[in-house]
Amino acid sequence: MSYQNDHQGQHEDEPVELECGEPGRDEEAYVRKQIELARRQADASPSAAIAAQQHQEDSPSLRIGVYICRCGGNISDVVDVERVAETVRLIPGVATAKVHTFVCSDPGQHTISDDILYENLDRVVVASCTPFLHEQTFRGAVARGGMNPYLYEHVNIREQVSWAHRHDPAGATSKAIRMISAAIGKLRHVAPLDQIKLPNHRRALVIGGGIAGLKAASDLAGRGIKVLLVEIADKLGGHLNQWGRVYPSERAAEELVADLVNAVGRNPNIEVLLSSKVKTVSGFIGNFKVAVESQSGANGATQKLNAVVGAIIMATGFRPYIPQDGEFLYRTEPTVLTLPEFVQLMRSISHDAKRLVYKEKNVRNIAFLHCVGSRQLDGVHEPSTDGRLNSYCSRTCCTTILQQALAVRTRFPQIGVFDFNQDIRTYGRGEEDYYAQASRAGVVFFRYNGEEPPRVEITPAGRAKDGALSITVKDALTWGQELTVGVDMLVLGTGMIPGQIQDLIEQMKLAIGEDGFLQEVHPKLRPVEVAVNGVLLAGTAQGPMNIQETLAAAGAAAVKAASMFATESVELNPYVAAVDLTRCTGEAQCVTQCDYEGALQIVQMEVDGEWVERAQVNAGLCAGCGACVAVCPHRAIDLNGWRIDQFDAMVDGIAADIPGRECGSELVSIH
Amino acid sequence: MSNPFVPKILVLATEKCAYPGADAVGKAHQEYPSNVYILRVMSPVLFPEDFFLRSYSRGIDGILIAACGSDCPYHGAYDRLAARIDQLTSRMNAGGLEIERIRLTAICTVCIKAFLKEVAMMSDNLHRLGPVDRQLAEQLRRASVERLQASARSRELVPALQGGLR
Repeated sequence: MSYQNDHQGQHEDEPVELECGEPGRDEEAYVRKQIELARRQADASPSAAIAAQQHQEDSPSLRIGVYICRCGGNISDVVDVERVAETVRLIPGVATAKVHTFVCSDPGQHTISDDILYENLDRVVVASCTPFLHEQTFRGAVARGGMNPYLYEHVNIREQVSWAHRHDPAGATSKAIRMISAAIGKLRHVAPLDQIKLPNHRRALVIGGGIAGLKAASDLAGRGIKVLLVEIADKLGGHLNQWGRVYPSERAAEELVADLVNAVGRNPNIEVLLSSKVKTVSGFIGNFKVAVESQSGANGATQKLNAVVGAIIMATGFRPYIPQDGEFLYRTEPTVLTLPEFVQLMRSISHDAKRLVYKEKNVRNIAFLHCVGSRQLDGVHEPSTDGRLNSYCSRTCCTTILQQALAVRTRFPQIGVFDFNQDIRTYGRGEEDYYAQASRAGVVFFRYNGEEPPRVEITPAGRAKDGALSITVKDALTWGQELTVGVDMLVLGTGMIPGQIQDLIEQMKLAIGEDGFLQEVHPKLRPVEVAVNGVLLAGTAQGPMNIQETLAAAGAAAVKAASMFATESVELNPYVAAVDLTRCTGEAQCVTQCDYEGALQIVQMEVDGEWVERAQVNAGLCAGCGACVAVCPHRAIDLNGWRIDQFDAMVDGIAADIPGRECGSELVSIH
Repeated sequence: MSNPFVPKILVLATEKCAYPGADAVGKAHQEYPSNVYILRVMSPVLFPEDFFLRSYSRGIDGILIAACGSDCPYHGAYDRLAARIDQLTSRMNAGGLEIERIRLTAICTVCIKAFLKEVAMMSDNLHRLGPVDRQLAEQLRRASVERLQASARSRELVPALQGGLR
């Protein structure tokens, strides 16, 4: 048993070399000091020579390029990126270390592929944002430079460094150096890998037959792609079936729905399943297996259907917020309505009616109250029964309220309309006109502070007579005067809450945001994709949107899905178990740990001219969990891309106080 | 050694749950100490016992295994992982290495509070315990490797043994 030491000349057999990774020092200063030390001792120390020699044997031409991203300040405002580059440049094997404002930009990616060509790099590290955003981007850049993409390692110094250690710049800088040093350690142990190719099933599943699903399905089918459209209700169209006119075009919602339903109906590529629910989803991009339960049969009997699809579009939509019992007297007083209920009421009144009659009473004054169930504040609003507080803005209610208020003033000029808002958010194209027109049409506006919502009471006279309500508000537009308005009807500007798709979220491992809606990979750069490859978002499943935005998102999701079908096969990361035949003895301890049928078995094979039993991995069936790895007494099986020796090297990079120097681990041998 | 002890905490975070969970902490601009180092893993079931002991012997003071728990995407992996960590913990206990240095927990993709709580708890424990006994960890690692090698049925046939496990 021999232990050799890196650079302080301790005796052999000294159990562990303590100066490597010794805790309790000021990290940053220590790193700097050790670099100097390492420089001076590089020649003098015999073990350094051994390490260098071994390093050369392992990979004679190791030339590592390190690219450190400022992320436009997101990283460099906290991490001293220049210092990180200076430091990692000293690590043996690092040929170049560069800082870039956006490595993910075209010029940034070109720098990498050019350096591979002209500086003969054979390993690349990018230290930037989370790997979920740009690991694939940089593997692509590396491949374009002619290198195997798995000789690339990604370091997350934004989400897990600069954003998480904002008030500790020195610590963040030191951590960035260590994490890069760990990645470099891993790269000393990597080998080229080839992606696994599997067939790509050219068929998409669209879940939800509202406008988002209809639009996505017809766009996809228009590109010649087969679509399975599953709708839970017995009719296509979703919430728009219960809507009136839509802003800003003022077309009837039913016409819009009819256009889309006709487009879907005409297209032979689309199979529609009504009264149906997606029960299970498994698999991955190009190869999702789905089971649908359908009641659309002739006699309403439940039918089960299985399908294989390559992509899934989540067009599952929203649920309208339903106020709690007694919230602004909702369900206590019949004259308190939600916005959708009011829209229905307006639709039901005949076109030439001169009066608005509700529950056999003539309505003379209407109040609209904004932000009911949206922009809720802790301590002000009562959480819903599941404990949720909707802190987000539902985005569509302001314009809808103004549209309805204007419609009331236009159709029934004798009705007084009062609008109670925190502020007016008519943000979309053409929406501000509703505000201007409503103002001109005599709608009276009051502004309340979100922490003090208006009080709604039923007047004693109102209780006796016609259900008249009084609304008291501290009005910011009159410098905080407390004003009370009497009305016959109150419309609550209710917004959107997430759809009930918990089963799908769990099965598909989808991420949800703080607001409870499905979360995209990146709000700007990858707005309709989710972290699960092959799954796309269309419309309000992702968060409150108006119709224009919903259709734009659905169109984008359809294009994204279509581009996924451009290839015959899908390529998957080759992260599967691999057997080292020079070590395997066919004992099958690994096989006992595998829970995937057929993924790992003992087979007869010829090794060095002899017929022997050895473990064999079926890459198509191996899930890559690595359960087999730990038990092998010969360490003959490992997980490609995530090998134990790679993790050992990463730990050394983190524990070591000299960046890039492995803590003598390679020099430790047993027996 | 006049400076205060700063423990090195290694977090083995699963790619489907805890790693995005740790990302969510940063995205929410919540902070935790910079001596917490996060490595992405498919499933921590991968690691043999000696990996953990080796990490301690290299100067890692505490290891937080941030897994998926019941959300684990792999069949049976979480149960196997839990059993393996159980065994490691009892071996550490028997060998005299403080078991507070290892912890298996489940962190979901949005479990910001849980992540911060686990990290703070580990950090508190390590400040109380002080630096890891690296020699002891190294002894336990060697014992563990020897035990694993001894589990081989056909010792003499094993070419790998001559060079030893790395």
